[in-house]
Amino acid sequence: MSIVDTLGRLITVELLSSSLRMTTPVLYATLGGIFSSEAGVLNVGLEGLMIIGAFFGVVGSVALGSAWGGLLVAILACLILSLAFAAVHLEWGADEMIVGLALNIFGYGLTTYLLVVMYDVSGYYSSEAIAGFQPLHIPGVEKLPLIGSILGGQFALVYLGFLAVFATWFVLYRTPWGFWLRSAGESPEAAETVGINLKLMKYSGVLIGGILCAVGGAFLSLAHLNLFSEEMTAGRGFLALAAVNFGDRKPLKCLAASLIFGFADALAIRLQRFGLPSQLVLMLPYIATVVVLTLSAIQRLAAQRARMSVRG
Amino acid sequence: MTARTEAEVVTDTSRLRAMLSSAGLQLLNYALILLLALGVGALAIAASGKDPVAAYQALLRGAFGSVRALANTLDRSTVMILAGLAAVLAFSTSVRNLGIEGQLYMGAFIAAWVGFGIDGLPSLLHIVLAFVASAIAGAAWGLVPILLRTRWDVDEIVTSLMFNYIATFFTAYLVAFPFKSDTTILPGTDPINATAKLPRFIRGSPLSVGFPMALVLVVVVYWFLFRTKQGYELRMVGMNPRFAAYAGLPVKRSALLGMLLSGAMAGVGGASLILGFFGRFITQFSLGYGWDGIVISLLAKNNPIAVIPAAIFYAGLANGSLEMQSATQVPTMLVSTVKGVIMFIVTAQVFLRHLARRSPR
Repeated sequence: MSIVDTLGRLITVELLSSSLRMTTPVLYATLGGIFSSEAGVLNVGLEGLMIIGAFFGVVGSVALGSAWGGLLVAILACLILSLAFAAVHLEWGADEMIVGLALNIFGYGLTTYLLVVMYDVSGYYSSEAIAGFQPLHIPGVEKLPLIGSILGGQFALVYLGFLAVFATWFVLYRTPWGFWLRSAGESPEAAETVGINLKLMKYSGVLIGGILCAVGGAFLSLAHLNLFSEEMTAGRGFLALAAVNFGDRKPLKCLAASLIFGFADALAIRLQRFGLPSQLVLMLPYIATVVVLTLSAIQRLAAQRARMSVRG
Repeated sequence: MTARTEAEVVTDTSRLRAMLSSAGLQLLNYALILLLALGVGALAIAASGKDPVAAYQALLRGAFGSVRALANTLDRSTVMILAGLAAVLAFSTSVRNLGIEGQLYMGAFIAAWVGFGIDGLPSLLHIVLAFVASAIAGAAWGLVPILLRTRWDVDEIVTSLMFNYIATFFTAYLVAFPFKSDTTILPGTDPINATAKLPRFIRGSPLSVGFPMALVLVVVVYWFLFRTKQGYELRMVGMNPRFAAYAGLPVKRSALLGMLLSGAMAGVGGASLILGFFGRFITQFSLGYGWDGIVISLLAKNNPIAVIPAAIFYAGLANGSLEMQSATQVPTMLVSTVKGVIMFIVTAQVFLRHLARRSPR
């Protein structure tokens, strides 16, 4: 069997389609990370926010009987937690990295505790009562050759995620508010002298970040599987952190990074079916992250050197 | 003239207050943080329809209520002290090592491998060899992230985090395939030889020589960081890397050394659990001790000596929660929530500021 054959069997329409699905949760968290780090707050707690979003998405879905209701509850929960993050950091001067780690520990602790208290299970909760998202069938899309079966039949949040990339770009680079937010992060002193409310900008960056993480988390638990498991985020919040770092906070570059991670995620699942040890292939997204970050750092350094030599 | 004496009186009292505040306010600060965290926990317990007082009584009993409970808590604190030291070594120098958990895993696995793979050694030699190997493994696991930073300026926060996942999956692979053992139901290695097991003190408790060893390492780390030139250099670079670079201190070498020492300590921590408690490597043995270590170093404000009470407190929470669950059916996971709250407020210094504000400047 030739390599082309193997690749052909490996890289299928199904793989690409599930790559888009696996990209979505990371993508939302990445966009969330962009907003918060553009405002000058490094949020290591994306992971914790996602797990809270995943859990309260299920809670809301069961209580309200609809996935969108679940999404709403997830957003509310993450807003409260992000507000706590922002307040502790901005009002009381706590170190942002430490508070971010606290978010992760708290998110894990609270969801595992509530899992037992509310549903009397530990580890994971799945039930008929969880209303999940339904795939969206846009007329015509699925009839398109090749890309139709990749793009068609995805969840609405998948399409919205890609729209959100452009929305993020537009808001950050084409509106005055986006300019204020970026200046609050880039040059706080200058921003303050021209009368930009620094604190307000930082609060909004963190809170928008929280909302987007909630969407990513709720997508994990309410799209495709309809269950909550305590380890379901599996470091996707950290991957998002890496994507923000790789993409240098530029929405399109960050999208590229999310796509790489989403593809690695989907590939890992697919490779397991080829009989490769699951433990090894599950390492893929994390190794890919390290490699991608390294390559982008080397590129950044080379660009810096080139600029220096031009100036010199 | 009267104004001047008044000013003198004010400075005198404020100096006194300053002296008192350093120790007294700190203690008060910790007490209030603990109270607030336990208060949040009590609300969570009450909301689930259980009795918070009974739950906390059981927690205390399970943590320190008898000689055996105390011994078990001290045993559990061993790995926490070592993970705490690993965090101190990283965070009081210039390394943001979020990969302690992964380094713990690698150290634990190598310790188990040395433990069951080598026969016929005298016990002391076998144990020392296992610890040394685990220290090397832990340090090696920190090497890539720190080299990537010193060489190409890749943020070690993210890469060291990624290495946690790589370590857990990699060791899970090792025990599922090359080191698969038929002697255990859980995915794990073969049991270690008797010569590699840490000697225990008390019948019915896993408390072993690991605990005094951890105490010795506390003193060693304290001595290193505060009494040697090398340690001073590391801390200076940690406090202000830019200034240290101007002053001609070797910033990159310090980062490398800080990470290696931190990783080695984490590896030893993992080994202490395997050689002292489990007797073999099993997947998911750690329960997040690497993360606990970071919080412990935070509570201890990066002081190696203060790591001891902080770790014992954390171990008490963990052990007490088991008794709490069996006596009052309040799930052990409550403790993770309480831990999260503690971490939330501990760096905020909310109370400290408030208390300081009330005293005249």
